[in-house]
Amino acid sequence: MSALSRRSLLSLPLFAYLWAKAPFAKAQGAASAAPANTDWTSYAGDIHCLRYAPLDQITAQNFNDLEIAWRFKPDNFGVRPEFNLEATPLVVGGVLYTTVGTRRDVAALDAASGELLWMHRMDEGERAVKAPRKLSGHGVSYWSDGKGDDRILYVTVGYQLVALNTKTGEPIKSFGTDGVVDLKLNDDQEIGPLNDDIGLHSTPLVCKDVVVIGAAHTVGTSPKHHANVKGYARGFDTRTGKRLWIFHTIPQKGEFGYDTWLDGVDQVGNAGVWAQISADPELEMVYLPVELPTGDYNGEYRRGAGLFGESIVAVDLHTGVRKWHYQLVHHGLSDFDIPCAPMLVDIPVNGKMVKALAQPTKQNFLYVFDRTNGKPIWPIVEKPVPKGDVPGEWYSPTQPFPSKPPAYDQQGVSEKDLIDFTPELHAEALELAKNYRMGPLFTPPSVWSDTGTWGTLVCPNATGGANWPGGAFDPDSHILYIYSKTEADIGGTIPNANKEKSDFDYVYSRGTPPPGTKVTPRGKFKPGQLTVDGLPLLRPPWGRITAIDLSKGEFAWQIAHGETPDEVKNHPALKGLTIPRTGRPGVLSPLVTRSLVICGEAGFATQAGGKRGALLRAYDKATGADRGAVYMPAPQTGSPMSYMVGGQQYLVVAIGGGNYSAELLAFRLPKA
Amino acid sequence: MNVMKSFVAAPLVLAVMGLAFAAAAQGGRVATAGVYSKAQADRGMTLFADACARCHGSSMEGLDVAPPLTGPRFLGNYLGQPAAALASRIRTSMPLDMPGSLGQQASADLTAAILAANGYPAGDAELPSGSSAQQAITIDAVK
Repeated sequence: MSALSRRSLLSLPLFAYLWAKAPFAKAQGAASAAPANTDWTSYAGDIHCLRYAPLDQITAQNFNDLEIAWRFKPDNFGVRPEFNLEATPLVVGGVLYTTVGTRRDVAALDAASGELLWMHRMDEGERAVKAPRKLSGHGVSYWSDGKGDDRILYVTVGYQLVALNTKTGEPIKSFGTDGVVDLKLNDDQEIGPLNDDIGLHSTPLVCKDVVVIGAAHTVGTSPKHHANVKGYARGFDTRTGKRLWIFHTIPQKGEFGYDTWLDGVDQVGNAGVWAQISADPELEMVYLPVELPTGDYNGEYRRGAGLFGESIVAVDLHTGVRKWHYQLVHHGLSDFDIPCAPMLVDIPVNGKMVKALAQPTKQNFLYVFDRTNGKPIWPIVEKPVPKGDVPGEWYSPTQPFPSKPPAYDQQGVSEKDLIDFTPELHAEALELAKNYRMGPLFTPPSVWSDTGTWGTLVCPNATGGANWPGGAFDPDSHILYIYSKTEADIGGTIPNANKEKSDFDYVYSRGTPPPGTKVTPRGKFKPGQLTVDGLPLLRPPWGRITAIDLSKGEFAWQIAHGETPDEVKNHPALKGLTIPRTGRPGVLSPLVTRSLVICGEAGFATQAGGKRGALLRAYDKATGADRGAVYMPAPQTGSPMSYMVGGQQYLVVAIGGGNYSAELLAFRLPKA
Repeated sequence: MNVMKSFVAAPLVLAVMGLAFAAAAQGGRVATAGVYSKAQADRGMTLFADACARCHGSSMEGLDVAPPLTGPRFLGNYLGQPAAALASRIRTSMPLDMPGSLGQQASADLTAAILAANGYPAGDAELPSGSSAQQAITIDAVK
């Protein structure tokens, strides 16, 4: 049965579209002296993934005057509200495009007013219910032939690539089958239509006439099958949907890299490209950030370095042939993946401009390469790392360590990292930490033991450091801005007692014992709980933004990002202490404009006047000093973007969380 | 490196104290007073392992696809909110492959398990399953 016959397609090409375009066109004409319209054509601005807007109407002087231009509440897209809208919208020609809602519908809005112009909805039934990556995803992509054939491309919850007409929202009939390419087909492996574990939540990469698609799976903490679906990357023709190439992120027998798998590749899967992809249209190279193979913390079925796990792979745009690769983690056991787009930055090196690639990571290293050939800009050195003792596990003796720039957040856990607001709190933190192993970055997970340790204390963890939103880069100053969080976690593993749930011998446990195990009390501490009197185990800042000058490979500045949590401000043990802003842990990216660095906060806090909400903050690009903050009713969930339409600069950010359902907020300055 | 700014905490202390005061004045209770039973939290944890752990992590630590349900990021979403806010969010939107399937009792049990995992003490009585009773219980800061 074709995919199309199982679903109903409903697009609403509203008459409102043309009606709404009319005043927009008028506004453009009336404001001929105003700054030109500026689009935001890809998830992170453009396919170099710099999250930079060349706009400066909103400045340090007027940031606090921002008002809400419009808000868009997607509660009724899908049968229930969504609370975690991770998308960054696009704006092309005065129209904003985004995915929204629990069904991952596509909406087109008037970028000046927020009015809905059309929506596209695909009901995939069970195919979506059983998909590994649900909700609205990271957004859509845009393609144009430059002659009026303009398309929106996105991947559905059920892993289908769809092409829509930007003006009407109707599927492009000549693309795939009536506008749809079933991504579970033609993947060099058999994939069942319903139950097999593959999907995608990031946006397709569109470069010239090629659309590149990765793959995501169920989170691999305790995977059901070690021989999971493999996450190959593919290029398709933007006009027809025809497959142009495939890149085997796990090489097949006879292909380059196969010999890095000591047991072959039949017993493993994953190695998907679930993060955003970037491309250089001049070099005609696509940069694939590959995650690790099956088993986020257990690698017993994938002994060996395992290419192209946790590697950046540069492939030819038209053929998918590998040009270069660099493995950032050999045989990963910490779920570092590569979580975000490689940032294609042009930077001065020894007095000469170099086409470089800067890769932020969960492990808090920024890896910087010459993107033409994959050679490190600053030496990356293989260094010995701690070995673990999980039975059957394989450990890489070394890992690559960049010599520059310095790590932008904590790596590993030692006694000096534990909370020390007061001597009493520090003493208690030391007592807690004694129950676990501690060590530097790459200290592997360990087996839970009632008489030994409850696992390994780790920082960063599987959610960073930095994570999927990635960073921002100012092409004028060559400064890269990255948000990261500092949060303790536990790398722990236990013998698997339930082969129905997972066919691994050991499974992830995060500091907790196998079910039914006796736990001998150890004072006030219980396995898995990493708070001290309700406070985080590690010293703040718990969230920070670092500015890295890529002309030198050094920090320009680093600040705490996010207001001190209420429970810390009001903690009885901290009464009378002056505590600097602590920052807050979250999953965020800043935006950089010609005038400011802008980033919303993670988590709610009590705001001035007792209101509950979060701030959208602005910082000085050169120093990190506060330059303004405006109120949002909920924290940032999708990274901010900016565009200019009708002579006005807009900032749009997705918010939500807790019991506040998802919302798009658009800010602009008041009209004179 | 930039110097982090200090803050003026007094108005915020008053605001949060005000919330607790308001809850008490209305005959409400706070989570640190023990608003669920151990048996209920154990039921909730069994359910959590089946229905929730694959996205939120086996001990609620959060994964790439779902936020943590413990520690500062949990409090960042629910501090000062009624228990009903958390229970209704669970009941109406979770789990993602069968939203709305849990019902009031299971949602209350899961709320109890989340409170337990955050270090809130157990009490003698169960967390009620009805929304109006849950509205009178405020999630305060765990100590």
